[in-house]
Amino acid sequence: MAMPDVTERPPGTPPLVQLRGIAKYFPGVVANQDVDLEVWPGEIHALLGENGAGKSTLMNILTGIYQPDAGEIIIDGYLKSFASPVEAIAAGIGMVHQHFKLVRAFTVAENIHLGWSETPRAISAQELEARTAQLSASLNLAVRPDVRIDELSTGEQQRVEILRVLARKARVLILDEPTAVLTPSEARELFKALKEFVARGNAVIFISHKLDEVLEISDRITVLRGGRKVATEPTSACSETMLAKLMVGHEIVLDDLRARGPNAVAKSNEPVVRLREVTARDSTGHIVLNKVSLDIAGGEILGIAGVAGNGQKELSELLTGMRAASSGQIMLGGRDVSTAGAGDFADFGVGHIPEDRLRSGLAPALSVTDNAVIREYDRAPVSLGPWYRPRAAAALARKIAEAAAVMVPNYSMPIRNLSGGNQQRFVARREMRIATKLLVAAYPSRGLDVGAINTMMRYFVELRDAGVGIVVISEELEELLNLSDRIAVMFHGEIMGIVDSAGADIEQIGLMMGGQRAATPVRAAAMVH
Amino acid sequence: MAIRLQRLPSASPGIALAARAIAILFALITAGLLLAASGAQPLKLALQVLRSTFGSGFGLEDVGLLVTPLILTGLSVAVALRIGAWNIGAEGQFYAGAFAATGVALFVPGPTIVMLPLMFLAGAIGGLIWILVPTLARAYADVSELITTLLLNFVATLLVYYVATGPWLDPGGHALGTTARLKHDVPEFIGMVHWGFPIAILVAVITAAAFSFTRWGYEVRIAGSNPQAAKYAGMPFRRHLIVVMLLSGAIAGIAGMPEVAGTVHRLQGGISNNFGYLGIMVAVLARGSCIGVIAGAALMAVILNSGIILQTQGVNTSTVLAITGLILFFTAVGDELAHFRIVSSKPAEA
Repeated sequence: MAMPDVTERPPGTPPLVQLRGIAKYFPGVVANQDVDLEVWPGEIHALLGENGAGKSTLMNILTGIYQPDAGEIIIDGYLKSFASPVEAIAAGIGMVHQHFKLVRAFTVAENIHLGWSETPRAISAQELEARTAQLSASLNLAVRPDVRIDELSTGEQQRVEILRVLARKARVLILDEPTAVLTPSEARELFKALKEFVARGNAVIFISHKLDEVLEISDRITVLRGGRKVATEPTSACSETMLAKLMVGHEIVLDDLRARGPNAVAKSNEPVVRLREVTARDSTGHIVLNKVSLDIAGGEILGIAGVAGNGQKELSELLTGMRAASSGQIMLGGRDVSTAGAGDFADFGVGHIPEDRLRSGLAPALSVTDNAVIREYDRAPVSLGPWYRPRAAAALARKIAEAAAVMVPNYSMPIRNLSGGNQQRFVARREMRIATKLLVAAYPSRGLDVGAINTMMRYFVELRDAGVGIVVISEELEELLNLSDRIAVMFHGEIMGIVDSAGADIEQIGLMMGGQRAATPVRAAAMVH
Repeated sequence: MAIRLQRLPSASPGIALAARAIAILFALITAGLLLAASGAQPLKLALQVLRSTFGSGFGLEDVGLLVTPLILTGLSVAVALRIGAWNIGAEGQFYAGAFAATGVALFVPGPTIVMLPLMFLAGAIGGLIWILVPTLARAYADVSELITTLLLNFVATLLVYYVATGPWLDPGGHALGTTARLKHDVPEFIGMVHWGFPIAILVAVITAAAFSFTRWGYEVRIAGSNPQAAKYAGMPFRRHLIVVMLLSGAIAGIAGMPEVAGTVHRLQGGISNNFGYLGIMVAVLARGSCIGVIAGAALMAVILNSGIILQTQGVNTSTVLAITGLILFFTAVGDELAHFRIVSSKPAEA
């Protein structure tokens, strides 16, 4: 296929899609800023970026789910504004989401015709199926019209989604991480179908963070980072290394958070936590952590990097006793805790700042005091024998709030009334009190502003200098590089490798996040000494 | 300057209480209007009700008799709510408790001083057994307790009808459709009001204290408010769920005992007088507070008593039911409105 090149087109041919200066703000977050994008007929255009880089927001703007706060959408040379996805599809822009939007109890034909203005008012099931078969043949996407969605494989369901969009005469097809749910052979079929589609003068926008497939399928690549466009390059001029660098960013300023203070406790020789070939499964039996081996020393910060959903959450639950291992061994300070529960881990000195504090770290409807003592309610002074002492509990709550510098007007008000940053500092301080051996923090800076993030980082440094082992899970690589001594990279429930933050090769970390193993043997790197 | 409404995440207690009072007032006014529309004279009726209820010791004693089971059934529902469960089956557990207490009274010989505590215990166990299956189904199979507890109400109601008209029918034949008069009476406390009344208040106070001043109570509070947080803290959610639901059933069962042995002195069909269902309303009025249940039950007892008086004045029984419904409705509206406050602000700058 000929490489689409702007300069080769006859003058006056407009791009199919042109975005100019798009910006979108959410409270406290810049999701997109100054994004320009041009997609030409006949082109597969890849949109590459880390989680939170603004890919989905940008596509939600293009398909009318969100309205931009600034900027213009120009389709085929005409300025447009979409109030809803219905208007976007009418203008020829359709999207296949990562999570399919099909009615599982309906047949393929019914799903194709659902909510479509061209569906005849009264029509028999046979006619619906015939129409579907016709569409399927004309668009060269094989589907079985009379089968219920439940009975289809994921790849077939995706084909139905694509057919649904194309039947509505979409000229631009947006696919959000389409291969995440496909087997390799299904992915190959999809790629073939996409190439045929663009050969008819249409265009595809392909969202992904997998470098290899982006290089394989696309004609041009646009990289987003932190909500801004970093680059648009023809694929022929790209390499995995270069894309990884663009995706992760290279102008990282290293703070001296890794430097120890004069009174800091040195890194311990014996690990406080030792995982040996630990495997964990989810409720349906799928492996979510695969033979993870890891040593964490006292007085060190271990960063866990990776694209969200690659086993980080499960690892944090495993390290805090909330999830049981299906095989392997977990040692905590020389004690085998493979079968211990969350309460035991807390008693052994493991603190936990969970990924979603409102869902699991707090009882949002209960008072500040109730939430303050959740770790220490079972011991003096908050309780004596079976008795719970509300006054002692309130005193502890005041102590934690003071340490966290949280102003609490009324300790009996529900804790959900505190701001997100205040809640997070409060939880952090509460957990630091019991974390005598290990603190596990999952995405501690998520949803926080810069000031609150800095405070959290200082807390971790303070605890590290006191000799506690710390695991910080984050998708902000800069943050991990500034803070942690070592970084472990996770992919598909496995640790791809562990690198020292000092002199770490960011490109290599980027590649490991995309599924490449570390050059050095993983087992050797996993050892502390 | 613009005036707009702002919703606060929580209402201050003073405003919440005021909203309650206004809501009840509105409900009564609406009821009055309806009565007037149907040709009655609401003001005259209201005066009659007030005079009959608060104007004499007898009126207050009637209220006292009604409030006793309402405190306990309301408490039963409120206790289950602590762990996030809806016990709609206080009605059935009430019948089961009354049935068990009657069985002990009829068939176990012994002096009254021994028999009364034994009947009390039998009532508790009867209620506990009646909620046992819904509890285990919820704890181990995640079956909604809302449905199971509700359905068992009909079983209990029919069981009591059956024994009262069949095997346990008064052999003396003095009355139709009831058991013989029980030999053991709950002694009187003040006037006609028996000792069930102070005991009901005591049970409510002890339960409230257990929730506020024990480690167990704290764990139940966390587990009921957010099971995920309980898991996070390593608290046994399932064990707490089972214990609290069984306790809820036992309290509703206890309510049946003084009703049989103190108020009616016989077991008969329909003895619960809907106390179990009204308990749901009492618990909602009390916002799930164990002490608040006493106030909620008192209000409900006054309404029920007013209903009896209104009936003697020729007002339809459904009207009384409608008034209770109106109060619940207006209270729900008032609770929501208490979250709002009016703020005046400059229009937002562009």
